Formats: sequence, C-alpha cells, structure tokens
Amino acid sequence: MSASAAAIEAEGLHKTFGSIHAVDGIDLALQPNRVYGLLGPNGSGKTTLIRLIAGLARATAGEARILGTRMPSRPMLRRIGYMPQAEALYPELSVRENVAFFARLEGAVSNDAIDRVLELVELGDRRGTPAMHLSGGMRRRLSLACTLVHEPPILFLDEPTVGVDPALRVQFWAHFRRLAAAGTTILVASHVMDEADRCDELLFVRSGKVIARGTPTELRQGAGTTDLEAAFLHYAGLDAEGRPLVASEP
Amino acid sequence: MSIARVLAVARRIAQGFRRDERTLGLVFVVPIVVTALLGWVLRDQMDATVRVAVAGAIADQAAQSRLETIAAESGIDLEVRSLGLNASIEDVRAAVRAGRADVGILIPIQYGGPPAVQVVTEGADPAAESGMMGALQMLLLRAFEPSGSGLLNGPPTFRHETVYLSPDADTLDVLAPVFLGYFGYFFVFLLTGISFLRERVGGTLDRLLATPVTRVEIVLGYSLGFGLFATLQVIVLTLFVLARIDVPAIGPIPAFTIGLDVQSVGNPVLAFFVALVLSLGAVNLGVFLSTFARTELQIIQFIPLVIVPQGLLGGIFWPVDRLPDILQVVARALPMTYAVDGLREVMLKGAGLGSAVVQGDLAVLAGIAVLFVALAAGTIKREVA
Repeated sequence: MSASAAAIEAEGLHKTFGSIHAVDGIDLALQPNRVYGLLGPNGSGKTTLIRLIAGLARATAGEARILGTRMPSRPMLRRIGYMPQAEALYPELSVRENVAFFARLEGAVSNDAIDRVLELVELGDRRGTPAMHLSGGMRRRLSLACTLVHEPPILFLDEPTVGVDPALRVQFWAHFRRLAAAGTTILVASHVMDEADRCDELLFVRSGKVIARGTPTELRQGAGTTDLEAAFLHYAGLDAEGRPLVASEP
Repeated sequence: MSIARVLAVARRIAQGFRRDERTLGLVFVVPIVVTALLGWVLRDQMDATVRVAVAGAIADQAAQSRLETIAAESGIDLEVRSLGLNASIEDVRAAVRAGRADVGILIPIQYGGPPAVQVVTEGADPAAESGMMGALQMLLLRAFEPSGSGLLNGPPTFRHETVYLSPDADTLDVLAPVFLGYFGYFFVFLLTGISFLRERVGGTLDRLLATPVTRVEIVLGYSLGFGLFATLQVIVLTLFVLARIDVPAIGPIPAFTIGLDVQSVGNPVLAFFVALVLSLGAVNLGVFLSTFARTELQIIQFIPLVIVPQGLLGGIFWPVDRLPDILQVVARALPMTYAVDGLREVMLKGAGLGSAVVQGDLAVLAGIAVLFVALAAGTIKREVA
C-alpha cells in the first residue's frame, strides 16, 4: 500500500442496488485534522457512501482506503468509529453497560475512558438507567458515546445530532472540533444546513454523485449567494422554487 | 359501539394476513402437515420382530418350533433363540441386558405342579412391554394347552421381572428423563431465536459488524451466554424431576409433594451434561433460523417445523426402529433422537461415561452443535470474516 497523507481515500466508488445507482463514481481524499460534511437530501447516497468507505458494504466498482489500507478490512475497524443513523443500542442494558459492551468489542478500554465519554455526552448521572427508558435525544447521545469510547482516529457520523437539543448540539460540535484538532478525520453526514457551516469542507451529494465540494465560503461564493441552502440548489441545477432539500429522491 | 370501527379492525387484520404468506401457510398448511406426520407415525408403525431368548424346559427344539408356529398363526413375528436347557435366570437376564433379546423366558425343568414361567424384559419402555407381555402370555397359554400337544401340563404361573426399572414403573418414569432434554431444547431455541432476531432487526448486529468482532466470536458468545441459562434451566428441571419434597398440611392447605420423584439409575450429572450439549445445539439453531424470520411471530412459527417433528420422531413416545423407513432416516438426523437415547441410557439403564452408546450420542450431539455454530456464523452477512 502506498503511503499517503490522506486518511480516507476513494477512487471511482460505485454501488448499485439492482438498477439504482446509490453511489455513482465518487472520488475522495480526506485529510486528518479536518471535519468533512456530507450534505444532501434523503436518499442521495450519503449513508451508502459511508458504509462503502467504512468497509461495511462492498463496492460494485472502485475502491476505498483508510490509512492506506484497502477496505473492507477487519483490523482497520478498530480504528474507525461509526455512528449509524438509527441508534443501535441494547434496550435492557444500562447506559454504562451499553458503552462498556462496545468498548470491550473494540479491545481493552479503561473504565476511565468509559466514564469520560459518558460525562462528555452528559449521561454521567444516567449511567444506571436502562437504555429503553431514555428520551430520543439521550439515546442519540448514548449512541455517540458508544462510537467515541475507543478514541478512533477515523470517525463516520451519520446524522449525529438528529433529536439533540440546540445547546447540546453546540457542545457536540465543540467536541468534534477538539477531536479534529487532535488529529482525527471526521466525516459527518447531514441534511441540516446550519451544521454544514461548522465543517472545514463540504461535499454536496445528489443522486449518488458529488455535485460540488469546497469550504462553506467557497461554495457560497461560487453560487453567488450568502446561504448554503441556496448554494446547494444552485449546484443541483434547481431554482429557488426547487424542491426542498429534505424531500425524498423521486 | 360502532360496527364500522369493529369492521375496520377486522379488515386491518385480513389485509395484514394477505401480505404475510408465511402466516397463511402456518394457518392452513402446517396443521395438515403435522397431522399427516402424526398419522403416518401411528398407522405405519413397523411390526418389529420380537426377539425371545428361551431357557429351561422351553429351550428344546420341539418347544421352540411349537412356539414359533403358534406365533406365526397369531401373526406375531417371533425370533426364538435358545440359551440351553440348563441356562439359569442369570443367563436370561444377561441376554436381555446385553440387548441380544427383547424378552427372556425361563421355565425351570421340574416334575409335577404347574410350570412357573419367569419372564425378563428390559423395563425401559413399560407401555410397549406390557403389550408384549400380553401377547406372550397368550402364546404360552396356547402352547401349554393340556388338550393339545402342550409343552407341559397345568396352567402356568407368570413372574415378570425387568432388568432396569422395577416392573411396576410407570410411563412417567420413562418419559421424565426425556422431557429434561426436550423442554430445555424448546425454550433455549425460542429464547435465542427471538434474541438474535432483535439483533438483526434492531440494527445492533449491523453496529457490531462495525467493530473488530468476528462472526464466529458473536455466535460463540451467544452459545456461552445462553448456554449459562440453559445450564441453570436444566439443573432446576433435573432437580424437580428427581426430587421428592413432602410438604405437610399447614392449616387449610392440604399436604402436597414437590418434585416428580423419578428414579435415576445412572449419574444425574451425566444426564444433565447430555441435556446441556443438546441445548447448545438449540442456541445455534436459534441464531441460524433467525435469518429466515423478520418478526418474532415468525420465530414462533418455526415451532411446528423444529419442535413438533422432534417430539414425534425423536423416540420419545415410539421407538425409532419402529418408525416407517423414511421417517427413520429423518429421525437419525434429529439431535433429539440422540439426546433421548443418551438420557435413557443414563437414567434408565445406568450407563456411565464409559458406555459406547452414551459416547456416541454425545459425539453426535456435539457434532450437531458445532455444525450449527458454522451455519449460524454463515448467516451473518459481512464483507470481512
């Protein structure tokens, strides 16, 4: 494997489900110390792209590499944190037991690390509560804790702040920035445009293709607008009357 | 009360069924299949040859051929072998214990008085043996008929003894060891099936596969985790079957007994071990079959396919070698057949770990458990092992 500065690379990634091109020829080179935003409407291929890169699904064509290793690779999974869109938690287990379970699967993780990550997501005083008794926002935070507990250098976060209240969302992002500053490569999928501005670099995705990429400022300037939503519509070839971003693909 | 709302609920149920072919199949096809299977098992039982070992006055050539002739006239397939005129009751018992004969008959050579017939059976299956005893008594009475060319004169007396259990053992004594294995298997299968289905449907399995855990690690972890519960369950059930605790009457509550007070000839720990190895197979069967279900209801729907045939064919009620040929082949592929055999060997016949039969049963059960570990791991979809 060639040594490469990019932490996450993709070359000509394709994934088809029958006649549907979920991911249709995507190239990426994502650097450490940065937060990347994957923006697009539901069904645009964000989740499939993340699953291909993380090695959870096999590409129809093309290849993805993480830290120079071609995916899928099981040893590389230890260095990845993946937060799926739907919380994957054990409802009968307590908050702490859920985190401890995933920590053990990732390899030996100290009790300190588990307690630290619980404080980070503000579930320290809920550690004994069964997950089934948590509110939607708390489950989201617990899911994030399970993803972060082994301190992976590569993070894939699929809509991490859905159902999280604005105050905590700010704290989430402050932590993502700290992690990036410490060398983590973060790829966040979202369809919330106000989150996009917190990313270092954005990838606009539509119908399985990257239709534009750049910093939020570059993308706004390129579209001649002050607002990212309008910029997306511009690059998607839709006018200001175009379908709302959250609408499903036809 | 609105009829329209009642109808709306009823209509909703019918609409749901229409899209669930499997439940429709369960409602209409499975009862027929199970009933047909039961009918097949009951009607086409093979008339097994009864192997009789004779000793004493009945052991000479003339007596043997007379016995066979009368049996043939009565439509009973009898295979008579002689242990010799001078064989003792010990020789007869040894022949039955070694499985060389189903029934042993000794008529001591004596002069005068009615013949005292001693009958020895295995004792592992009271129901079948009492039927066999009835037929034998009839045969022997005919053979002794004073008017005909009887073997001996005078009405014979019968004394029945069994090699393993006492002759008055009841059906429960024979079935209890088997239920140890059967109920454990049943509940462990249901528990793991539903539990693993939740992993698949709830997204946790997918999440697990984003960690370095391997598929075999997941399946073995399940075996160990549910194996612990299977262990506790089998321990409690074994104790209940074997125990007898008499609770005296207290006030208005009459005296009662806890436990079935079933006699185990062999080592209960070995019986427990056989049931445990069976249960481990059930864990992995549950994981395996959860692939083919989308809802918990569909796991329940596997009961008629997994649990019922094993109950009918596993040798619990009817010996496997009396089943119709094709069903015998099926029965030999079911883990329950080996568990039933092993449990009976241990608890009714007192076999130990040194017994070749018990070793064989345990080996097959362990093999089936390992096979299903592999099959279960194979059902977990993953891009990397």
